[in-house]
Amino acid sequence: MSEVRIRFDNVGKRYGRLWALRGADLTFVKGEVVMLIGPNASGKTTLIKCLLGLVRSTEGRISVDGKVIGNDPGYRRSIGYMPQISQFPTALTVGQLLDMMKDVRGLDDSALDDSLVDELGMRAHMDKRLGTLSGGTRQKVSAVLAFRSRPQILVMDEPTAGLDPISARRVLKEAGALRDSGGTVLITSHLMEEVESLADRVAYLEDGHLRFLLPVKEILELTGTQRLANAIPAMLGGPLKEADPVHHV
Amino acid sequence: MFKVFKYTLIDLARNRFVLGYALLMLLVAQGLFVVEGDPAKALISLVQVVLTLVPLITLVFTVVYLYDSLEFTQLLAVQPIGRRSILAGQLLALSSALLVAQAFGLGLPLLVHTPDLPALILSLSGSGLVLVFAALGALIALKQREKARGVGVALFIWFLFVLVYDALLMWLMFAFSDHPIEPLVVPLAGINPVDLARIMVMLQIDLAAMMGYSGAVYKNFFGSTIGMGVAGSILLLWILIPTMIAFRVFQRKDL
Amino acid sequence: MIRAFALLPLLLSFGVCSATSWEYDAHGAERFKDLLQRIAIGDTVRISGIVQEGTITINRPVTIWGREGAVIDGGEKGEVLVVLADDVTIRGLTIRGTLVSNLEDYAGIKVKECYRTVIAGNFMDRCFFAIYLSGARDALVEHNRVIGDDSVDERMANGIHLWKCNNATIRHNLSERHRDGIYFEFVTDSRIHDNVSRNNLRYGLHFMFSHRDTYEDNLFLNNGAGVAVMYSKVIEMRRNKFLSNRGASSYGLLLKEINDGEITDNVFRDNTTGLMVDGCNRIHAQRNEFRYNGWALKLFANATACSFRSNSFLGNTFDVSTNGELMLNEMMGNYWDRYAGYDLDRDGFGDVPHRPLGFFTLLVERMPYAMVFSRSLFVSLLDRAERLIPSLSPEAMKDDRPLMRPPDPKDGTGRKDTVTMSNSAGSGSSFGSGSGISYCWSQRIRSKSWLTLEAHV
Repeated sequence: MSEVRIRFDNVGKRYGRLWALRGADLTFVKGEVVMLIGPNASGKTTLIKCLLGLVRSTEGRISVDGKVIGNDPGYRRSIGYMPQISQFPTALTVGQLLDMMKDVRGLDDSALDDSLVDELGMRAHMDKRLGTLSGGTRQKVSAVLAFRSRPQILVMDEPTAGLDPISARRVLKEAGALRDSGGTVLITSHLMEEVESLADRVAYLEDGHLRFLLPVKEILELTGTQRLANAIPAMLGGPLKEADPVHHV
Repeated sequence: MFKVFKYTLIDLARNRFVLGYALLMLLVAQGLFVVEGDPAKALISLVQVVLTLVPLITLVFTVVYLYDSLEFTQLLAVQPIGRRSILAGQLLALSSALLVAQAFGLGLPLLVHTPDLPALILSLSGSGLVLVFAALGALIALKQREKARGVGVALFIWFLFVLVYDALLMWLMFAFSDHPIEPLVVPLAGINPVDLARIMVMLQIDLAAMMGYSGAVYKNFFGSTIGMGVAGSILLLWILIPTMIAFRVFQRKDL
Repeated sequence: MIRAFALLPLLLSFGVCSATSWEYDAHGAERFKDLLQRIAIGDTVRISGIVQEGTITINRPVTIWGREGAVIDGGEKGEVLVVLADDVTIRGLTIRGTLVSNLEDYAGIKVKECYRTVIAGNFMDRCFFAIYLSGARDALVEHNRVIGDDSVDERMANGIHLWKCNNATIRHNLSERHRDGIYFEFVTDSRIHDNVSRNNLRYGLHFMFSHRDTYEDNLFLNNGAGVAVMYSKVIEMRRNKFLSNRGASSYGLLLKEINDGEITDNVFRDNTTGLMVDGCNRIHAQRNEFRYNGWALKLFANATACSFRSNSFLGNTFDVSTNGELMLNEMMGNYWDRYAGYDLDRDGFGDVPHRPLGFFTLLVERMPYAMVFSRSLFVSLLDRAERLIPSLSPEAMKDDRPLMRPPDPKDGTGRKDTVTMSNSAGSGSSFGSGSGISYCWSQRIRSKSWLTLEAHV
């Protein structure tokens, strides 16, 4: 058994009367890619946000590398995050944004990994204002930011949604490399085809509850199918619920 | 905090709205000085412009800017820094940007045309109002999830401070004119930061009238060191309390 | 040591006679009083040094000149100089040492029932009353510096005090730090011009029961209660400046029970109340400038047949206020900086009347503490509404032909920004250049240091 990186202990989050996530008990280990799937409002975004500290869990605990996360933001040093929607201060240039995030994280240049800057062709955009960039280019900026600090935990929310196929493939390849060097990668996605080759395990959430968290191989074996897209409905004993392709709660 | 402040300020420095605000102020102030011809009279006209416009623009701009940077605020919040630093940096940058814009648009013409005590008091009061309403704006932006509603609340708050409060106070004065309400009027007016700023400026501009029977009371109070201290403290409270509440709200807020 | 010189014979008004010029040095053996008894009518005495002989009485028509540094010090025995004869001239002396009394009006120079007294170029140094003319006729008081001492309260009486005089001329004097700078009671057919009266405890100029008098080109500045003209008839007031008279009962100019006054080309600035008209008839105010006053004009309802034309009202907290419903006076063709009307026919006059009495003025009249709402947005809105649809102010309180721009400055010399009073008496004054006083103001009207007021001595 690999080393545990992240542990959720009975984590729940309630908005008003509604439990967006409840009784989440799961662990993520070093050197794996986990795909979080589920329909709209299933709780996967809430789960991610709890981990990132954007949302305070109503109950339960989350620990990262054995430490329970609380008010100390220090644990986020090891986390890289690529949000689904990339909005930045419009008047900053790409270069200034990269500098800002470097400063905010307290890193110096030697700690940075700028390979994606070149691979995604961002070098040419360095002096452009973020407000002038297209959505796809902004998404690339997000990707660069997420990988740049060489995080041990990488959280990507619909990473391929706004990217062109070539860039999406590059980004996923980079995520694979991270896993291979011992990182933990969490990806939420609707487009299972793109990630299934990368994923080691799949977590399925529905109505705020974790239905299963199993290795891909096991799922395929259990259902006797070749592809995840077919395997998941089979796992649930019915067709997969229609999911909105972009939005999450 | 300083890093957030620094880059937010760089962003705001090129913000069209901030530049527009600076230019608008410059245009209005310079225009008044040119049209009126007489600097002291232009100053009088400027007072109402400042007391009306500064709260409105500060409130609306703060609210809109914070809503528009919500996604980026999220991105900042997943970095290894505390929420306090994020809000402090943003709020400080917003206030600074507006203060600089105001120094350029209002302070510069004042310095050129009438570099005297009333102008200084007007500039200081205007700056105080920027800080107060930036704090209030931040609180509104954090409390209201929807941008349109946030702007609506901002407008309502502005209307309340600038117009409705005085109307209510005057109604109170008439309604209780048979009672000794006089000692209450000044403290009640002084609670409202806009009124307070106005009184401080007015004590300079309407100095002659202030030496009259009733004015002397105000003059003696607000003109004294204690009065100045009290006025300054009230403005400070108007800055600190909303800021502190905003920090509290932001600390617990689900982004 | 007394040296006497025979001068050229002079022609005097009452006949041909040879006048002698005497030199008196206070260090000498003879007393000044004794010399005064020896000299002849029309003689001149030139004084050097400091004369300290208590009260000195002048009882024959002579001229007394001070050489440089000449002082007559009364030693606080009572009056200093008492003039009991006609045609006395007192020039170039420093006079001090008046006794302060609650019972007697002791003065530096007291003139009693004399004709043609001339008091010129003297320095009245902290006298109780300084120059006191009682029952004088055809007197001339000019180029004197009358400086009191306001450091001790109630110690000072009036600077230039006239009682029951006729045909007096008071000009180019500086009077400050007394109770009243210039005081007139029962004084007729007299002129007061080019004086500066400032920093006095009570009034810069105080007029009581005095008729057919004129005062022009004076500067009244920072007096405790401003200028008061009371119970008088036919007074002409031109090109004076009434500045910085601040306080609850302080007025630039207070007119009480005045009939037939003319107020032209004056400047009222920075006063708590610029001009107050109480119980007056036929006051005609023209081309005056009211600027930065608390209340520019307080026109009481008991004033009748007064007119206000071509005045300008600029930057006042309140332009006009009144205390009643009645309005039997006329306002026409004034410039109001608050006027919000238009001039479609381009004749220079607004097409709709201006109502100077705003809601706020009336409110403060009733509830003085409402002053705290000055310049508030709400009050401005109400003010505008009241001007559009008057419901509270007297119907007649309006200007049917408001000027679109201030009256042409060349009409009123009272508008010029510098008054310079130079002393060219050539009187052999002991002050060298005499008492030239220059006054100027800058546009910095607000700060404490906005006034640069210097007496060149």
